[in-house]
Amino acid sequence: MKRLEKYARGKGLARLVFALVFGCVASAQAGTVKIGVAGPLSGAQAAFGEQFWRGAEQAAKDINAQGGIHGDTIELVKGDDACEPKQAVAVANRLVDFDHVSAVVGHFCSSSTIPAFEVYAEAGILSMTPASTNPMVTERGLATVFRACGRDDQQGVVGAEFVVKQLKAQRVAVLHDKDTYGQGLADSMKAHLATLGLKEVLYEGLTRGEKDFNALVTKLRSVKADAVYFGGLHSEAGPLVRQMREQGLNAPLISGDGIMSETFVTSAGGPKFVEGVFMTFGADPRKIPSGQTLVEQFRKGGYEPEGYTLYSYATMQAIAQAMRATRSREGVKLAAWLKANPVETVMGTKSWNAKGDLKISDYVMYRWTSAGKYEEVQ
Amino acid sequence: MSFHILVQQVVNGLVLGSVYGLIAVGYTMVYGIIGMINFAHGDVYMIAAYLTAIFLAALTLLGIQSPPLLILLVLLLTMAFTALYGWSMERIAYKPLRHSTRLAPLISAIGMSLILQNYVRLSQGARSQGTPTLIQGSVRLFENGPDQFVQITYAQILIVVTAVIGMSLLWYWIQSTAMGRACRAVQQDRIMAALLGVDTDRVISVVFVLGASMAAVAGTLVTFNYGSFDFFIGFVIGIKAFTAAVLGGIGSLPGAMLGGLVLGLAESIFSGFVNTDYKDVFAFSLLVGVLIFRPSGLLGRPEVEKV
Amino acid sequence: MTERSVSGGQSVGAVLRESLITGVVALLLFAPLTGVSLSGYTLEGHWQRPVWLAGWVVLGRFAFGWLRARGHLVGRLSGRPKAGSALLASWIEAHRTFLLLALCVVALILPWFIGKYWLNVAILAWIYVLLALGLNIVVGLAGLLDLGFVAFYAVGAYGYALGFKYLDLSFWAALPFGALLAACFGVMLGFPVLRMHGDYLAIVTLGFGEIIRLVLNNWMDFTGGPNGVRVPFPSFFGIEFGRKAQPGHVTVHEYFQVPFSNEYRDIFLYLLLMIVVGGLVFVIRRLRRMPLGRNWEALREDEIACRSLGIQPVTVKLSAFGLGAMTGGVGGVFFAASQGFVNPTSFTFMESAHILAIVILGGMGSTAGVIAAAVILTVLPEALRDFAEYRGLLFGCAMVLMMVWRPRGLMGARRARFDRSGVA
Repeated sequence: MKRLEKYARGKGLARLVFALVFGCVASAQAGTVKIGVAGPLSGAQAAFGEQFWRGAEQAAKDINAQGGIHGDTIELVKGDDACEPKQAVAVANRLVDFDHVSAVVGHFCSSSTIPAFEVYAEAGILSMTPASTNPMVTERGLATVFRACGRDDQQGVVGAEFVVKQLKAQRVAVLHDKDTYGQGLADSMKAHLATLGLKEVLYEGLTRGEKDFNALVTKLRSVKADAVYFGGLHSEAGPLVRQMREQGLNAPLISGDGIMSETFVTSAGGPKFVEGVFMTFGADPRKIPSGQTLVEQFRKGGYEPEGYTLYSYATMQAIAQAMRATRSREGVKLAAWLKANPVETVMGTKSWNAKGDLKISDYVMYRWTSAGKYEEVQ
Repeated sequence: MSFHILVQQVVNGLVLGSVYGLIAVGYTMVYGIIGMINFAHGDVYMIAAYLTAIFLAALTLLGIQSPPLLILLVLLLTMAFTALYGWSMERIAYKPLRHSTRLAPLISAIGMSLILQNYVRLSQGARSQGTPTLIQGSVRLFENGPDQFVQITYAQILIVVTAVIGMSLLWYWIQSTAMGRACRAVQQDRIMAALLGVDTDRVISVVFVLGASMAAVAGTLVTFNYGSFDFFIGFVIGIKAFTAAVLGGIGSLPGAMLGGLVLGLAESIFSGFVNTDYKDVFAFSLLVGVLIFRPSGLLGRPEVEKV
Repeated sequence: MTERSVSGGQSVGAVLRESLITGVVALLLFAPLTGVSLSGYTLEGHWQRPVWLAGWVVLGRFAFGWLRARGHLVGRLSGRPKAGSALLASWIEAHRTFLLLALCVVALILPWFIGKYWLNVAILAWIYVLLALGLNIVVGLAGLLDLGFVAFYAVGAYGYALGFKYLDLSFWAALPFGALLAACFGVMLGFPVLRMHGDYLAIVTLGFGEIIRLVLNNWMDFTGGPNGVRVPFPSFFGIEFGRKAQPGHVTVHEYFQVPFSNEYRDIFLYLLLMIVVGGLVFVIRRLRRMPLGRNWEALREDEIACRSLGIQPVTVKLSAFGLGAMTGGVGGVFFAASQGFVNPTSFTFMESAHILAIVILGGMGSTAGVIAAAVILTVLPEALRDFAEYRGLLFGCAMVLMMVWRPRGLMGARRARFDRSGVA
């Protein structure tokens, strides 16, 4: 590690000196297309940044192997925002102004994506997030922003319908992790429960980074919840469901795509605790035929392509196809093309509406099994 | 509000409070001896959580099956290695600053905290990790119908019992051994103690080792109980434990435990009966309130102003 | 780094032995955490990693010990400035006005050439200069350890954001509004807690900082919670910086007949920040010579003596606290204006720690040192971006090394005159 670090330091210094000597102007060399991959590569959400990077890296490799974009090879540039808006803006400016990227795959946290996309849009650069589900991302009338995932409000519809119609729950508790994503999900759940004529019995937020939710679980017991909806990520959902079961509360837990990770099982303390947990997620990319070989390829390399890995891969594919088709790097042209044409990706055919949202986002309900795997609920 | 729920919340508070108390000991001891807030202490706890999972996996691979033996071995190994981390941390980042301003070690501690977090992230990956459930089962008390019961897991009982044993041993050690006496002497007056022949450097090292091993006990127990951790867990719990240490009166060992219990109980009662969103706001407001009326914390000695 | 090291004169053999012992300890430390990595509930081996790491540690330790034994590093670690740096200091002192002018000219020219990315970093750096100068009044001059300074920064930023949202405040109205609001908060917090001493005060301010952040995050209906609030970009006396103006307004590039560039807005903010910082520096210089500033420093040194001389500690402390908070508030307004978006994640405890690190690295109480440290600690993490995932690790190392190298900060010499050992 240290050796790598030394190496990186040498290389970084050289690059810095180079950049200074040549007046900070590192314009893209002929024959390459620079694409930024921005997300939390450090900080508490770094696991998701890694998924982004793995997916984009593999996609770039595959696209380059097929001849790149009309002969130009894709070169990826990392941007670390640590899920912090300030750093997201800094990174966005850097990608635009310093690295001169032609498009951006990223940001993860909605709270980072929202301000960063403003920077890209202002510079006329195409940006597409594989993961930010907050409606605000595409609701601001920016022309060159897209997302390759669904929106919170869509997940909420599926979740609420499922809780009311299939679980026939009467006393639903809605929890969240007080972050843009989690609270957005919980709010949309709450809203759709209301349209179905159900008022939640509890609506509260837990603190991200904590592991002891016993007090909250006891409270769930005291309000006699018969279904618990959690808007948040697996690092909190795991301990939460374990503590529910350990305290003898057997109400089903329902959550969104934030717990879509094999790590959810590990962090819950074993498969027996996750049995009977439900979650909404896009039709599993790992099951889509076009993705099968790719998934095998990832697994052979020792990496389970979970969560947003394939979303990130698909985002790269969409950008590359738009560039090929338009023979342009201009955000506005690329955006117009993407809004008019469907794209064949590893996750199936995708097409976008005028806002930049997916036309069809097929959230379905999954159930975790006692083997620690998940399967679609029929 | 039913009786069962109240008792259950008290149990939750005691368990959480024991964990806070164990970590708060590390803050309070270091503060008592060298008057420094060791911001990297929460990350020592995080290191302990990782070591616990690694030793558990390693010992399981070696074929040890019996849970009590596993728990004991993992606990001892984790304590030893975490103590080594505590010791080295002091050597690298704090010892060179022994004779400088009091705020310099504070910044170097914040740097150390960044180093430890990133070191673990780089070597173990960023994703959250877990351990298999080792201690299973629970007892039900006051059972009276399907919803009316108080359920306590064996792991929770283990946390409270071990915390009590650990704190008692530490208390005994401070009160009754030569090294413990030296510690107290250094705490009262470092220069005087040094003049009387106490090796203050050694005492400070020992304090870091002990603080780290207490954090290791907490890390191991929490990992067995909650089973989930990542490289960032030290931060939130570190601030809470520090709050507990100040609440109890920083520098006071029983104060740390008391502060931990009060904070744990306050959090779970507030969360259970008022609102979870504002639980932390309540915890910090409690701290501010207590300090306004008792400026040295619950059990802290009032500061003597020297002219 | 033991006592005898200062005198030097260790033999190579002893250095070698120490290095090897260090290596063994390092191997023990690295073995469990880097030698294996968790994968689900089992382990993957990476046996070469701890060996490499420990090897590097041995080498580094040996090189360090050897250099020290040769007398190359004497004095560095004890924080005493060497003769060379004293010379430099006197040279700087002699050419002060010229140097200051040169720096100002460079700072004025800089924003036009560095491009949008570095321009943004420079704006951040100025904001941190502002914040650190504010905290410096509290920590450096008045000697009150404040670990929750970010609270006032947040109040300023949200003061602008929410002021715009509900009261339709413009940037120019928000500047005094945010400053005043933050000052009010400072006095409100200061009043009950300033009786406390040293580290009790530190933890209470830390708690206060967290309370503000948590309330901002939880109070969904008023603050927008984690979703944050959008903030309009400032205008230049009613002239806008956008590509297209709002109806009834003109844009800068139309007004001045120049081509559009999205950098004008940032250059404007940069220059404005420069003026504000310059004004603040001037005010602080004046204050330090006035009775109020002298009282701050006197109180820092000896509270009992001050009280016996008839100085009211609470009033004096409150004034420092309020003034520091006000500066923090102004910093917050600028932050909100430059980001165009605020959300509670920008105001965590790490932010307070970062500002405090600037003040301490700058050498508490020294204005020039604080400005230098603010620039270093803002540009450094950005410059480290080339190291990608090693950035955090390197930044942590830099913080520890800087403290070990210069425990009294970059320019702590001014303080040393009336320093007592053991007092912060």
